Amino acid sequence: MTDTTSPAQVGTVPRQIGAVSARRLGALWIGAGLIGLTAAIALLVEKIELLVNPDYIPTCNVSPILSCGSVMTTPQAEAFGIPNPIIGIVGFTAVAVAGGAVLAGNGFRLWFWGATQLGVTFAVVFIHWLIYQSLYVIGALCPYCMIVWAVTIPLFWYTTVFSLRHLEGATPRWVRRCIEIATGYHGVILTVWVLVVIALIANRFWDYWSSLV
Amino acid sequence: MSKNLAWSLALIGVAVLLLAGMLVLTNRDDSSAEVAREAPTAQLVREDSPRLSEGKDAVFVEFLDFECEGCLALYPVIEDLRDEYGDRVEFVVRHMPLHDNSVNAALAAEAAANQGEFEAMYQRLFDSVDQWGHQSTSQAETFAGYAEELGLDTERFRADVNDPATLARVEQSRQDGQAFGVAGTPTLFLDGQRLELTTVAALEASIEAAVND
Repeated sequence: MTDTTSPAQVGTVPRQIGAVSARRLGALWIGAGLIGLTAAIALLVEKIELLVNPDYIPTCNVSPILSCGSVMTTPQAEAFGIPNPIIGIVGFTAVAVAGGAVLAGNGFRLWFWGATQLGVTFAVVFIHWLIYQSLYVIGALCPYCMIVWAVTIPLFWYTTVFSLRHLEGATPRWVRRCIEIATGYHGVILTVWVLVVIALIANRFWDYWSSLV
Repeated sequence: MSKNLAWSLALIGVAVLLLAGMLVLTNRDDSSAEVAREAPTAQLVREDSPRLSEGKDAVFVEFLDFECEGCLALYPVIEDLRDEYGDRVEFVVRHMPLHDNSVNAALAAEAAANQGEFEAMYQRLFDSVDQWGHQSTSQAETFAGYAEELGLDTERFRADVNDPATLARVEQSRQDGQAFGVAGTPTLFLDGQRLELTTVAALEASIEAAVND
């Protein structure tokens, strides 16, 4: 158990482990955080415009199906009593700043990684609930929201791959094997995940997509 | 190339081919079925466009949005004209949703049309626009309430409102409108000619002339 970790690094996570290094993860956090932040700000600005002027037509209303106006005005857009974009702005800012800290700092306590893992796990569960609501309850796709979906999935996945590597050696053999597969084929798993979401979107609005071609 | 990358790229390739293939197939089915009827280009009136009357002497088309002030102002005029010319003029409604809830309203009207009650829902929507118009939240529930009051099968109504095919019909209408240069509502066409009118008397004179043509 102790032979995989050098004594100097007890309590912190080694900076280079397998496919995902701390530096790469930090860069991903910054990138994903900034993209997500931009989308969340755009959504909040549109929401405010809409509150000021109920006749305002949001810039992201491309068609009845590609429309954020109809999505923004649903109860699901305020899932925790405050508008979702506010959660997005705070969350994605935190992710970007944490990414900067990873690049600038020199190792962190375990609880720091634990807390970020907790945060991105909440995010990924939340956006999958939103994907379900958008597809099957509201029946419309909001472009800015889809940007948030698109960044949250890799954000969660690569943070998890990074965290999983930390568990290596401390678990039964079969769990270790699963972790090896997950980290070795991280790109394949992410691709399948994203393709499933795309397939659901394609299937749900097939009439609309085929009318565009 | 690593196995991880190779598998990811292969999956993406397969997904793209599959999606493109399915889109092409769907469209080929569509066109082969539609060639007999009509080319899939823009049409001012479609077979499934809702009608308020079935006269044979002239075709009157209104592109409307249930939430627009101009359409509301025109509504009683159209009601009067229908009283007078309904037996001779075909009054067709096309959707051009431009407001927050106008897509929901159009869906409600289409769903009512599926049960043969387009006219009742059309009147109900205009008569009670004070209750649901210019709201930033979805009024889909209000419309379901109207359906119930009109004695419609509410289960079926809800299913039809959520059916992507209903939305595709509204979208088709909007696209037809755009193809015919409709940028605002209400926009009127009489026997395929766009009407640029300022007074009720002029509108009535145009219809009278078209009927006696």
